[in-house]
Amino acid sequence: MKTFKLHIYIIAGLLLLGACKPEIHTPKPSAGSVDFSRYIALGNSLTAGYADGGLYLAGQQVSYPSIIGKQMQSVGGGTFSQPLFSTAQANGSGYLSLTGFNADGTPITTPVTTNLAVRGVLPVPGFGNVTLYTKYTGDINNYGVPGIKLLHITYAPYGNLNGYFERLLPGNAPTNSTTYLDFVMSKPFTFFSNWLGNNDALGYATSGGAGDVLTDKSTFAALYNVLINTLTAKGQKGVVATVPDVTSIPYFNTVTVGAILAGVQKANPNAKALYINALVSGSTYAPRAATTNDLIILTFPTSKIGQPVATPVGNLPYGLTPYTPIDNQYVLDENEVALTEDYVTSYNTTIKSVAASKGLAVFDAYTFLQNIKQNGLVVNGVSVNSNYISGGLFSLDGVHLTPRGYAIVANEFIKAINDKYNSSIPQVNISDYNGVKFP
Amino acid sequence: MRKFLLLVLTMAPLLAYSQGFQVNLEGQKQIGMGHTGTGIVQDGASVFFNPGAMAMLPENYIQGGISPLLFKSVFNPAGTSIQNHTSNKVATPFQAYAVWGPKSSFWKLGVGVYTPFGGLTDWGNTWQGKYVLESLNLKAIYIQPTLSVKLADWMSIGGGFVYNHGSVDLTRAIPLANSNGDPGQARLKGSGKGYGWNAGVYFKTEAGITVGITHRSQVNTTIPAGDAIFTVPASLQSSFPQPNTFRSTIPLPATNSIGFGFYPGSKWIVALDVNLVNWDSYKTLSFDYNTNTAVLQDTHSARNYQQAYSLRGGAQYKANDKLALRFGGGYASTAVLDGYVTPEAPDANRVYGTLGLGYTVAKHLDIDISFEYEHLMQRTQTNFESQLSGSFKTDVYIPGISLAYHW
Repeated sequence: MKTFKLHIYIIAGLLLLGACKPEIHTPKPSAGSVDFSRYIALGNSLTAGYADGGLYLAGQQVSYPSIIGKQMQSVGGGTFSQPLFSTAQANGSGYLSLTGFNADGTPITTPVTTNLAVRGVLPVPGFGNVTLYTKYTGDINNYGVPGIKLLHITYAPYGNLNGYFERLLPGNAPTNSTTYLDFVMSKPFTFFSNWLGNNDALGYATSGGAGDVLTDKSTFAALYNVLINTLTAKGQKGVVATVPDVTSIPYFNTVTVGAILAGVQKANPNAKALYINALVSGSTYAPRAATTNDLIILTFPTSKIGQPVATPVGNLPYGLTPYTPIDNQYVLDENEVALTEDYVTSYNTTIKSVAASKGLAVFDAYTFLQNIKQNGLVVNGVSVNSNYISGGLFSLDGVHLTPRGYAIVANEFIKAINDKYNSSIPQVNISDYNGVKFP
Repeated sequence: MRKFLLLVLTMAPLLAYSQGFQVNLEGQKQIGMGHTGTGIVQDGASVFFNPGAMAMLPENYIQGGISPLLFKSVFNPAGTSIQNHTSNKVATPFQAYAVWGPKSSFWKLGVGVYTPFGGLTDWGNTWQGKYVLESLNLKAIYIQPTLSVKLADWMSIGGGFVYNHGSVDLTRAIPLANSNGDPGQARLKGSGKGYGWNAGVYFKTEAGITVGITHRSQVNTTIPAGDAIFTVPASLQSSFPQPNTFRSTIPLPATNSIGFGFYPGSKWIVALDVNLVNWDSYKTLSFDYNTNTAVLQDTHSARNYQQAYSLRGGAQYKANDKLALRFGGGYASTAVLDGYVTPEAPDANRVYGTLGLGYTVAKHLDIDISFEYEHLMQRTQTNFESQLSGSFKTDVYIPGISLAYHW
């Protein structure tokens, strides 16, 4: 019994020692020269938390603005509200989920089609069908609208053409006439982030240069000035981000000319080249053999290759002759790449000069993602890169980010804000955020 | 229930302490005096501290002790106010010695069982660096038979053979999320052995100062076939074949020591030790997997440790026939260069202080207790390999107790 008592004392002593924890003194988080009390985020799908080809609750919950908003709360930030889908309709627009791998290692993705927030489909004459989603009526700090271009921010009918914007507006399509910019400005704010502009180039690129057009450079500049002048009219501070090099995303770098050709040559060693319908100049297209500088989109159905196509000279295999080139919509060819890059460079010059004139912080997403593409990035022992699925940065759609990618981006925004405004918003723990989910 | 708790506490694994993985807890009397003992003769712990001094022991010894150790680290990731703490786990370095020789003969035989290296760090599975390390439990138990011979009244030498039983149990998260978003985990668990030696010389100078010089050799410890257990999403399991084994070798470094004993009066012993630890042998931590795949490659992480030294000092005051009071302290330089600090052993330069008390409870029986507090300086680092960036700081608390029977 005596030794038992002694043991108790020893344990008590150890527990007491256990209670003294070392602490590292850190400076109290400071707002610097900024009032973060109401932060709002403007942007497109990246800002909304879009991932895996859809907008859904789990993606919204790890959007970079929501991460920033949460981190801002230690420096005077207020509640950060997002137009979240309800738990019952958590799958929002639906999205892709990874359900396995084929024998050759290629991924199998399956659309998630249950618990959607789809309210209906509205045919808009002269435009097409617009999918409408369950309305959101609460407070909004995250104004990210998937699909929106800078071009759209002052376009009054836009609330009838984009279901993601429509669901935020009080009125129903097709009666809306509030512009995106007016809607954002309808409630006062003290700080903003703005990452608009991607879709002005991305829309053209992801459609292989076939289904959309690049926003005119001077139109982009004029609208960007209107936007930033409006946002800073009452002296608000903010952070803006540049447009990433759209060709640095896995959407354009996973299904490659080389890989397709190698597959064809396995069955037919005589196949020498893939043929594409490529941009010559202006709007003139002509077939030619594809090179490694031509980018095939991720969603290209490779099974089309070699299928017989009726031509004036008889049936010829798809993609393998100049008479049956791969359709334009599947290829961002070398000249289209150059054209896109030229526009993106111009957009970014505008963004940086407007930001400089207003004294705004800039997150140079173009440089940051370009660096990751070239060198990769190691964060807390995790190696990330721009590869599809295995890279950990990009989600299953090859365009939008994983939770880990959004957390990395959130920290880059935070660093840019802190550098500019002498604030010390704490960074988020990236290790808490996962990459692609595997079955 | 409490008994069960106690069992859990004492069963809980080993330690991490002093430079890198070195654990300097090899005798309660010596801990009390700042862990000095190379240049003085105290008890059976001479087997470890200086086998050359063993033959000078006036008596035979059987003794054993334990030093429950709390290694408390904190990590503050750069740019945040987060404090990641290691969990409260009690490591149990121990030391046991037996020394015997015929009365007033010129030789003595001894054996020691002690734990000179180890590491117990558990950062948990939610912290910033979980993909670098969740937990590490590294143990080395040295068994050392020893012979010491008195060449003259003023000089003796000795040497021992070292057998090391080493074990490692390491876990880290794998950044591959399952359908719930939870990461995978790698666990490397195994044991192995290594061999080395320990030798020393001890002499008394005419000035009344005693001197000891020792060398403890490097002990390359190899784990030939530890279990490599990977928990990953099912669709990726084929890239992480199971079962699998790994091979790894850790060079536990050689230590060179010189120590001095001073005797300013009949009640006082003052000791000084200087150690030079050849940590520079620890260049790389490699894990060589038996079955590799495109995803699962062998790993080779640069460690590039450097030679490290420590300065130790301590004193004993014999208050009366039965009671000895001890105190000491020291400084140890880090073995780890900037850019190589890892959460396995968040090393830094360190200072420590010790207190000790010895009491003769019966004619041949000593009970010794000690307490050591050690502080590792705050160190702000970005690791080259993992890019884990932030500040480490560590405090170590080590109470200890031993019983020594001598005749």
